[in-house]
Amino acid sequence: MIQTILALIVKEFHQIRRDRFTLRLIFLAPIMQMMVLAYAISTDVKYVYTAVYDYDQRELSREFVRSMSVGNYFIPSQSPVPLLESEENLRTGDKNVNLIIPNDFSEGLRNSKPVMIGFVADGANANSASIATGYANLIAFQFSERLSRSAFPVVLRQRILYNPEGESVYHIVPGIVAVLLTMVTTLLTAMAIVRERERGTLEQLMVSPIPIPALILGKIIPFAALGYIEFSIALALGVAWFKIPFVGSWPLLYGLSLLFVLTTLGVGMLISTMTNTQQQAMFFTWFFTIYAILMSGFFIPIENMPFFVQKLTYLNPLRYFMIIVRGIMMKGAGLESLRTEVLALVIFAVSMFSFSWMRFQKRAK
Amino acid sequence: MSKTRFIIIKEIRHILRDPRSLVIAIVMPILMTLLYGYAVNLDTKNIKLAVVDEDKSVHSRALVNSFFQSGYFIPSLSAPQINDLEGVLRAGHAHAVLVLRRGFSEAVRTQEPYQVGLVVDGSDANRAAAATNYSNVLLFDFIRRNVSAPTVRPWVWISPRVLYNPDLRSPDFFVPGLIAIILMMISALLTSITIVREKETGTMEQMMTAPVTPKQIIMGKAIPYIGIAFIDGLLVILFAVFHFRVPFEGSYLLLAFFGVIYVTAALSIGVVISTLVRSQLAAMMTALMVTVMPSVMLSGFIFEVKNMPLPLQYLSMIIPARHFIVILRGVMLKGVGAPALWRETLALVLLTSVLLGIAAKRFKLKLG
Repeated sequence: MIQTILALIVKEFHQIRRDRFTLRLIFLAPIMQMMVLAYAISTDVKYVYTAVYDYDQRELSREFVRSMSVGNYFIPSQSPVPLLESEENLRTGDKNVNLIIPNDFSEGLRNSKPVMIGFVADGANANSASIATGYANLIAFQFSERLSRSAFPVVLRQRILYNPEGESVYHIVPGIVAVLLTMVTTLLTAMAIVRERERGTLEQLMVSPIPIPALILGKIIPFAALGYIEFSIALALGVAWFKIPFVGSWPLLYGLSLLFVLTTLGVGMLISTMTNTQQQAMFFTWFFTIYAILMSGFFIPIENMPFFVQKLTYLNPLRYFMIIVRGIMMKGAGLESLRTEVLALVIFAVSMFSFSWMRFQKRAK
Repeated sequence: MSKTRFIIIKEIRHILRDPRSLVIAIVMPILMTLLYGYAVNLDTKNIKLAVVDEDKSVHSRALVNSFFQSGYFIPSLSAPQINDLEGVLRAGHAHAVLVLRRGFSEAVRTQEPYQVGLVVDGSDANRAAAATNYSNVLLFDFIRRNVSAPTVRPWVWISPRVLYNPDLRSPDFFVPGLIAIILMMISALLTSITIVREKETGTMEQMMTAPVTPKQIIMGKAIPYIGIAFIDGLLVILFAVFHFRVPFEGSYLLLAFFGVIYVTAALSIGVVISTLVRSQLAAMMTALMVTVMPSVMLSGFIFEVKNMPLPLQYLSMIIPARHFIVILRGVMLKGVGAPALWRETLALVLLTSVLLGIAAKRFKLKLG
């Protein structure tokens, strides 16, 4: 039995190796994705292009505009068009915000009166608009404080743990590691099995004296191995290139990954039993991957979602694995803080793997 | 032309014979629209906040209430230990801990210096920034309302107004962009796979021995997928407008016109990929890497291009989806016409002609 499995694994590796282009893709694609994603994914709101209409034109109003530009959140500049056409700025997308300072700005401030500043934002990007408004409010608060040379007696003293520099890369890169493992293991398993079915070679294997369990193991072990190799490459890139602080335990991470890989291999096998052509398998895998990524908290916080969508995320194995990878890497979390997630993954691994195994065997008969 | 028609008919038969794939090609976009429409919301809210209130006064309770009523924070289910505030953060039971030590109420009354503590889980930088921002604003607001004679005067107020999407709804932003993603997926991915499949099964050679030109083969294979792409695009628009109530301010005709240019670009990429690879798996992985991934990640669909490092910003210029998404949002949300979109139009037309040229050349080379 073991020898049969070994022979099948060797066969599978020969097949993978013979298609040089695909092989290169299997290794290049994740590295490229890692590099692009890590730099592209940033939900920080910065560089808000601001058209300034300053009808005061005095020292104080200029000072206010200057304080807006601190920290690169706002990029203020004189508006190219008159106020009556200021909507055009937002329509064409040249500017994101129109800022209107009334002509009694300095005078009002000197007489200790409250002054209003107009702030018109392009809401097409809902997230940026609301965050930009928040920033503008804070800047106005601080400007008032400075002007009156007194501070609020009660202040907020914040302490940020785990990622005090506020680097979004530290959050995203561990996420990419988890996403890559999902994509590679699910996709390659499903496609490899369906390809044999499409070509008719799967039937040949099935009528041969190879027992079905050996056939399955011979098919999935190579892809589990490939998945682990890519997982390691991604982790190495994360630590060496992106300088992600790895504070947790490596053996724990690799051990828990096995639970997750069993789940995704199960999904891959399940897809292969539901489809006849590679095109169909691709669609199913693609849909599973999108669901898994979007609903995992990878870059969209689950708490932002409507309540019924939040419930759907509990059915997503990647959701738990995402917490595990990030927890171990960034917070040094141990088994006891990850109890719930580990339990969920055990349930997923056992049920998913045995269900698809049974389906595969049934279909083989 | 008539020969092209035969290939079209053959390809349509192929598609119809495999109804499962057809159903998937139609159902997938709908499911994706629902997923993106409901799940993608980058507006940080419901931050899980744990509270340590040692002051236990009217004021401290009022402050805590104002946090939870703001909609940005929700109470964490577990209470933190004062000597181990980190515990709830490490286990993920809370995203931030608000600490009000004794003397808060006193400070509000006498205006003595006092520090409200906030410990934040910084692993998600975006959420951490939002948590501290919101806390600052809420605290300012509380002081302004409760401190009898605020020392800070005068005040500068921001009076915000939001145009085009005044309720700041996320679907309005994400669903129009999704049209670009789905058109790219269907056109580039499906075309490359269907051509490579004929290579894989050896039927491509048979076709080439038949008296048809490479151009006719390509046109015949591509046109049915243009049809599917347009049906899918229409479905997403219908869902956007009727289900998610995304406004459609501009002209449908104008959008359809741009859609044709964009789909041509996508199909050209699909053809180029099909000349490069031999297996469906390779076609799919290449298509994912050079079309779908950049269209999702580098186009401004979710993440703003102007926040990316400069090299990526330049790279994004040669991604058709980047320009098409600006057009989609402009036409749908803002009702702009062609003149306001001249830059995007120019870029899209340029990209499409280059891609089409490469595709035609590569395919002839491959067959000749």
